Amino acid sequence: MPCWYYDKKELRNTPSALDNIEYDTEMRYRKEGARFIIDTGSKMDLGYNTTATGVVYFHRFYMFHSFRQFPRYVTACCCLFLAGKVEETPKKCKDIIKTARSLLSDAKFATFGEDPKEEVMTLERILLQTIKFDLQVEHPYSYLIRYAKCLKGDKAKLQKMVQMAWTFVNDSLCTTLALQWEPEIIAVALMYLAGKLSQFEVIDWVGRVNKHLRWWDMFVEDVTMDLLEDICHQVLDLYSQPTPTTAPDSPPLLPRPAQTTQPSSSKTANGQEKEKPEVPEPNPPSVPAVSIPDVPTYPYPPSFTTTAPHASAYPPAYTNPPVVPPTHIAAPPPGPPPPHMAGPPPGVPFTPYVAPPHYPPVVATGPYYAPTPPSQPHRPYYPPPS
Amino acid sequence: MQPREKTHSHSHPVMTLKEKEKYIENFKFPFCDDSAKYEKVAKIGQGTFGEVFKAKEKANSKKLVAMKKVLMDNEKEGFPITALREIRILQRLKHENVVNLIEICHKRASQQNKCLSTFYLIFEFCEHDLAGLLSNINVKFNLGEIKKVMQQLLNGLYYIHSNKILHRDMKAANVLITKNGVLKLADFGLARAFSANKNGQPNRFTNRVVTLWYRPPELLLGERNYGPPVDLWGAGCIMAEMWTRSPIMQGNTEQQQLTLISQLCGSITPAVWPGVENLELYKQMELPQQQKRKVKDRLKPYMKDAYACDLLDKLLVLDPSKRADADTALNHDFFWTDPMPCDLGKMLAQHSQSMFEFLAPPRRSRTHHTMANQRPTTSAMQDSGYQDRVF
Repeated sequence: MPCWYYDKKELRNTPSALDNIEYDTEMRYRKEGARFIIDTGSKMDLGYNTTATGVVYFHRFYMFHSFRQFPRYVTACCCLFLAGKVEETPKKCKDIIKTARSLLSDAKFATFGEDPKEEVMTLERILLQTIKFDLQVEHPYSYLIRYAKCLKGDKAKLQKMVQMAWTFVNDSLCTTLALQWEPEIIAVALMYLAGKLSQFEVIDWVGRVNKHLRWWDMFVEDVTMDLLEDICHQVLDLYSQPTPTTAPDSPPLLPRPAQTTQPSSSKTANGQEKEKPEVPEPNPPSVPAVSIPDVPTYPYPPSFTTTAPHASAYPPAYTNPPVVPPTHIAAPPPGPPPPHMAGPPPGVPFTPYVAPPHYPPVVATGPYYAPTPPSQPHRPYYPPPS
Repeated sequence: MQPREKTHSHSHPVMTLKEKEKYIENFKFPFCDDSAKYEKVAKIGQGTFGEVFKAKEKANSKKLVAMKKVLMDNEKEGFPITALREIRILQRLKHENVVNLIEICHKRASQQNKCLSTFYLIFEFCEHDLAGLLSNINVKFNLGEIKKVMQQLLNGLYYIHSNKILHRDMKAANVLITKNGVLKLADFGLARAFSANKNGQPNRFTNRVVTLWYRPPELLLGERNYGPPVDLWGAGCIMAEMWTRSPIMQGNTEQQQLTLISQLCGSITPAVWPGVENLELYKQMELPQQQKRKVKDRLKPYMKDAYACDLLDKLLVLDPSKRADADTALNHDFFWTDPMPCDLGKMLAQHSQSMFEFLAPPRRSRTHHTMANQRPTTSAMQDSGYQDRVF
């Protein structure tokens, strides 16, 4: 399997960069694409695992292709479409497009072309090849919960910390962290951040061994404070980025890829989304900023407020062990089956299958392979060797 | 006209579909090789979602592979979810007794296939499948060899079940055997992951799985919260087939299959299977009463070996909760008494021809029991492609 982790230099040397897209601009595109997947996913009641898988596909895709070649919202839809199938929460392509339509401005939706469904379907083949069918993606969520179970301390504070960390994990999808570090490390870093901000100090934990200085030494090795701080800053930077008022728009789009050498000419010709600011940034802090040494001021981000996962994944008092969310593979979400898993309504593409039995039903009789005649009493299948 | 013009310029995609296809054609995907690196030799089967070919690597003609084509023609929802499942599951499973997925290749778009690229799953090649071997009367398994087959089969099941995967399509045709006698479970097109229902929520899987003749009673009665025992039932059916050489319960309908099961394994009642009365179809299906269990009696004339009969009796148990699991079965005396399981390589070395069910003549026709190379008719191909699919 390919290695899906990159260092910072590689992240500055992407196909988009080579295509004359500035680093900050690319980061914005990534953020917008990820946010859009999250928004579309939650609007369609897709779980956090499906959404996160889609986002990771999205980030990986643009390690091989340029934002100039592939408009981000189409790619985003395609990633969510594929992630839905992979995570056993399939959504119909046309429904995803419908939802996308409702979330995007006309100009942005225009990148889907004349036949949006075909656009997404074609892209799926490119996506699959790009990610080498490496479909299985792990996310920090399951680690977050696993680690939280081991920490001792005030239950209410612990729960608050875990919820905050959960939100950070959600928001981390808008960064390229998933292209830099394993989910275990991201989980540790963002729990560390949440711990600081919620003033939950972990003094003791289950399975503590003398040689362990910090609780996470149990789970990950050689994680330096510098690394943790770096990861935290990448997430916190999301909240300090200014809202682009002069919306500098989509990739400097060009009518056709052949002309990619003259970027500036096309922007107006294309007329893409110069009208409005992009996806609104998180609102100004709604919670008084807490000042804590070592980490920047934390305006609690009201972004990605679909609180569903942690709210439901956690028993209120946090006395019972929390329900572990289904892991990335296949297991259906708890509770009644989601609507899409129930019998397909008439006319939907996922139709039941009518198929003949595997073996031809007509059974010839013969001394060697005579099967039991169906409607008669059982007889030997094959003459016992004498 | 004008407004339309305007929207058009607005909506111009970055690349048109055609340009996109061209882009793929020219883009060298670092991880996804061109299927042209293999050369097809023959069609050897029909899988859940497409044809299967024997092929050899052009660069190294000694390297044989099986290429399973992913059919995309009728997919309104893009790359089939069944294929995605099989890929994801096989990437996770690496075991001597599970077929090895080498890679996934794509065939470049061309005029011929109307600009649609096709995908192939590339597997290591196995010379035979069990159904093909059993349909050839010249292939004779002695007791030690049968033990080896069953031991490997149960080993494979033990492995996949420990990895929380259900195969859901156990049948002789999906059990591959290499010329060296190594058995591989194949066709994970219906497989899925399962989890012990730890949330207290029962699973709600589709029960439209498993080829009818190998389908266990709980599925026939509409159970949706099932688990590994469904595969062990199939293992039992296959085990008996090692001696009978033909599937032991060949129902034409689900009702008939239940009747055949009752006639062999005894009546399905709450007495032998507590809770069966709560299954969805328990009241709707006609379940023959007063049937005695005759598994041992009926199979003894074929199997002779008392341990074999006893193990089979523990696999073909109506109540899934009492059915032997793979581990229990592997610990059965059958595998630990003389003759001990013995290598199949020697016996298979006597046969130079590949034996696949797909290539074999109809199994019950007595006139064609030599291995014929002739292709089966189209209708036979369609029949062997039978599958209930999964949603």
